[in-house]
Amino acid sequence: MTYTSMESPMPLDESTSRTGFYDEELRKFNWNLLIIEILLFGVGIWNLISATGVQDKSLGLYKSQLIWFGVGMICTGLIFLLHYSTFSRLAYPIYFANILLLVAVLVLGKSTLGAKRWIGIGALRLQPSEFMKLSMVICLAKYFETDRTVSGYGIRDLLLPTVLVGVPSLLIMAQPDLGTAMIIMLTFGSMMLFVKIRPQTLLIIGLIAALALPAVYKFALKPYQKQRIVSFIDPGSDPKGSGYNSIQSMVAVGSGKILGKGYRKGTQSQLNFLPEHHTDFIFSVFSEEHGFVGGVILITLYLVFLHNGLQVAYQSNDKFALLLCLGIVFIFFWHFAVNIGMVTGLLPIVGVPLPFLSYGGSALITATLGVAVLLNVANKKFMF
Amino acid sequence: MAFLGQEEQVREYQDRFKYLYTILFLAVTILLGRLVDLQILRGDKMRQASEDNRIKKVKIAAPRGMIFDRNRRLLVDNRPSFDIEIIPQYLYESKQTDAVMSRLSKILHLSEPEIHEILRKNKSQGAFLPVKIKTDLSRDEVAEIESWKLDMPGVQITEEIQRTNIFGEVASHLLGYIGEITQTEYTALSKDPKNTYKKGDSSGKFGLEQKLEPVLRGQDGEKLLEVDALGRTKLNKNKGRVLDELPEKPAVPGKNLLLTIDQDLQLAAAKAFGDKAGSLVAIDPRNGEILAMVSRPGFDPTVFSRGISNKLWQSLLANEKKPLIDRTIQGQYSPGSTFKVLTAIAGLEEGVIDEHTKFHCPGYIWVGNRKMHCHEKKGHGEVSVVTAITRSCDVFFYRVAQRLKSVDDIAKWARHLGLGRKTGINLAREAKGLIPTEDWKLKTYGEAWNGGETLSVAIGQSYVLTTTLQLANLYASIGNGGTLYQPFMVKEVESFEGQILEQFQPKVVDSAKIGERTRELIMQGLWGVINSPIGTARSQVLPGMDFVGKTGTVQVMAVSADRIYHKCDTYKYKERHHGVFAGFAPATNPVIAVAVIAEHACSGSRGAAPIGRAVVKTYLEKYFPDLYGEKAVAARLKGKPAPTHLTFPTEPVHAVPEDDENEAILPNTDVRPDRRATETDTEVVPPEPPSLTPTGDE
Repeated sequence: MTYTSMESPMPLDESTSRTGFYDEELRKFNWNLLIIEILLFGVGIWNLISATGVQDKSLGLYKSQLIWFGVGMICTGLIFLLHYSTFSRLAYPIYFANILLLVAVLVLGKSTLGAKRWIGIGALRLQPSEFMKLSMVICLAKYFETDRTVSGYGIRDLLLPTVLVGVPSLLIMAQPDLGTAMIIMLTFGSMMLFVKIRPQTLLIIGLIAALALPAVYKFALKPYQKQRIVSFIDPGSDPKGSGYNSIQSMVAVGSGKILGKGYRKGTQSQLNFLPEHHTDFIFSVFSEEHGFVGGVILITLYLVFLHNGLQVAYQSNDKFALLLCLGIVFIFFWHFAVNIGMVTGLLPIVGVPLPFLSYGGSALITATLGVAVLLNVANKKFMF
Repeated sequence: MAFLGQEEQVREYQDRFKYLYTILFLAVTILLGRLVDLQILRGDKMRQASEDNRIKKVKIAAPRGMIFDRNRRLLVDNRPSFDIEIIPQYLYESKQTDAVMSRLSKILHLSEPEIHEILRKNKSQGAFLPVKIKTDLSRDEVAEIESWKLDMPGVQITEEIQRTNIFGEVASHLLGYIGEITQTEYTALSKDPKNTYKKGDSSGKFGLEQKLEPVLRGQDGEKLLEVDALGRTKLNKNKGRVLDELPEKPAVPGKNLLLTIDQDLQLAAAKAFGDKAGSLVAIDPRNGEILAMVSRPGFDPTVFSRGISNKLWQSLLANEKKPLIDRTIQGQYSPGSTFKVLTAIAGLEEGVIDEHTKFHCPGYIWVGNRKMHCHEKKGHGEVSVVTAITRSCDVFFYRVAQRLKSVDDIAKWARHLGLGRKTGINLAREAKGLIPTEDWKLKTYGEAWNGGETLSVAIGQSYVLTTTLQLANLYASIGNGGTLYQPFMVKEVESFEGQILEQFQPKVVDSAKIGERTRELIMQGLWGVINSPIGTARSQVLPGMDFVGKTGTVQVMAVSADRIYHKCDTYKYKERHHGVFAGFAPATNPVIAVAVIAEHACSGSRGAAPIGRAVVKTYLEKYFPDLYGEKAVAARLKGKPAPTHLTFPTEPVHAVPEDDENEAILPNTDVRPDRRATETDTEVVPPEPPSLTPTGDE
């Protein structure tokens, strides 16, 4: 038997195998997540054009939002070049750098509406409190990765995580940015419950919280924050004052009825009855103009988005990746639930933006970074 | 405590995901339930609430404080100006577009396509956003639109307050102007926690408007206005009134200013200037109150108050006469011969000359191998200090300078009398002027002082620079016997109800100890300038008013030797001499001191002195009618010779031309050419154009 070149078995071709590698990479890529992210942002920008068409400080801001999303996409690409285990290695440096930024905000920060939230770097304005959410999740995932306790954690095990979360929370509350601090604590709490805490420990924490709450209300909260809580309990008590925002927002949502008033025709937002309509109350703008149908579609989009995130966490095969993804999903979930709860009058008004819809560069970049980490884990879980 | 491997623990975690999904679905159910509640169950009610949403917060603009002159004549006021706007959404919704358009086009004298074009241009913004169709409507237009209001849905009239300078250009620099705050100013302001400025607000940019911004600015109020779902203010049937306001926070108007300025003097000065460029300052020597302060050419501050058009702004910047410069405090000029009184004071007080000292003036003097000229080519002959001032003899003062120990002797007296330092007037951008000393030259140029330069300083040339305000204050101080006041022009700050909040008192900043005899001699010299037959400004005499002063003519450009005795009028405008005049009245216990710079007017006596004279005359006649009114003066002068309450020395005199034009001839050539140009050397930095493009995020 002679071998001619025609009959010879296919030699291992370098280029084919490379192509195969990329094919594999692309096949594994979690397209669903990316597509939903872009869909959500698309709806967001379309809605923002309506919300910022009003003659006030927000006019034309959607353009900057587009730029921020572009920056976020570039970051997504860059993160894809790394393996997620890098985050585990760099967890503490990232965390401490972020803490430094938070301190810098308090020292050098610029204020908006009496609160110091951002620092300027050239023309950019950074809100380090947004990035802190991710830094914290990375840190917690790393902490629990090395721990092997199964029967539930006690007070002593929770000491370090509590400090890790407590320090940035206090720094953020000092800004004061109650909304972000709250999201951080909710995410922390959810992760703690997920990794399992001993029942008796839970009971003690619950007792302490119950005792501390009145003291916090009395001493730690600023008068306007107290006023929000009072007006949440009874919005009618001062309809032109602090309850104004809540009432106007509920009217905006409700007046959209089933089909909405039509794009750019929401009187509540377009006539400035609705405050902060391009940031915290963006969902009200959407609901007013697109009604119940629009609201259901948007909430379904979020549901699918969160489900996909949870699936990435579920399918990851190491503890760090699972907790990391889960933490990120928690951040998104709490933003989503608290924001919509707040604008529909179910929760008091705290400044929590709606991911991908609210205007805000740091928040949008943080959201895209979060999705970038999910995409990375989904893709690289088999590569060790 | 049990320990598990990584994989087992991951599996254990995966088991817990069912709880997560439960919570997620629960949360979504609650939110959807809330939407059902708000949008479906309570939808109609909420829709009605949004249609009824009448409570709209509207800003009530606080009027800025008004500015009055010393006799409570209104100088700066706030006057309403009306604009017409269309909210496209309401117009189109009404289905009456054509009818509205044809009516509007008739009222506004705009064609229908023009109006449509304006709307089309603004289509990219939201349909609820008002589009400005025409600004500054006439009263008739406003009345007609108001009467058709209910037939023109979507059409509204807005009222804006326009800062109005009643006398336009007169006192433009002093009063200044306002404009929208710039991005830079806004950023700076927002650092202050007490800041009450919002984007789009106005603030003072120049003059008193700028310097007294915190006083003049009021506090905006806020009101709740009831509007219907179409944004129109609701008609209240009960009262028959259009507005049904729920006042919340009233606006607090800014505080009013009562100035020391007399508008009649301002007007007299402006009239006397004609189209000349230059400046005039008149001060009350008894207390430092500024009576008049005029810089020409001016501009109309009113056009700034609602945003000056770029074209107009550029034309103001490009104007070669630089109308935006305040020549009273920003312009620095060589004082020329008006400075000679200081050399005389220094000479007499330092003891190098006395009343009997006489120098011979042959029309020049040799300094080393250089010939320094007197402006009088033929020379003045034998001159004493009094004649030297009266006839502005350069040679006399050269000789005084030669006898003085150093230039610092002159500088010392100049400083005590307010030159070479800021007067401290309450205005931004005041220039310091310059009085050279030996130290100063060493520090600035690294060169030792050259004795010859003292001679130039002695006649107000060389490095010496003064502002018109300093010059007026100098003569006020000489007039009152050496007391230097800080000039001021705000007499009182009052609340908008007229209650006096603050009163400003005269403030003495320095006191020059000029001897009694020196004062008399100086006064005789200054008296002679105007009131003697040999004075350089004898045509400016004010009979019975004892108006005294000193002229000066300052060369602007080095003129080549063959042209120095040419007529100034034949030069190009920019090369003509500046005319300077400073003086006061009456000679004893003066009540007004005045300084004038008339740029490129060729001569002090013909260009500048008449302007000062007009202001002094107006002032004396207005405030002292018993002493200086026409009748009083006539009665006093009846049958009497010219007033000679000051003894004037008689000396042999040759025929003297009144013309002092040649005073301008630069006596020597060792002056640095860059210092010779006495053009106003302060540049106006154009304010940053208003840009409100947001940067970065929230």
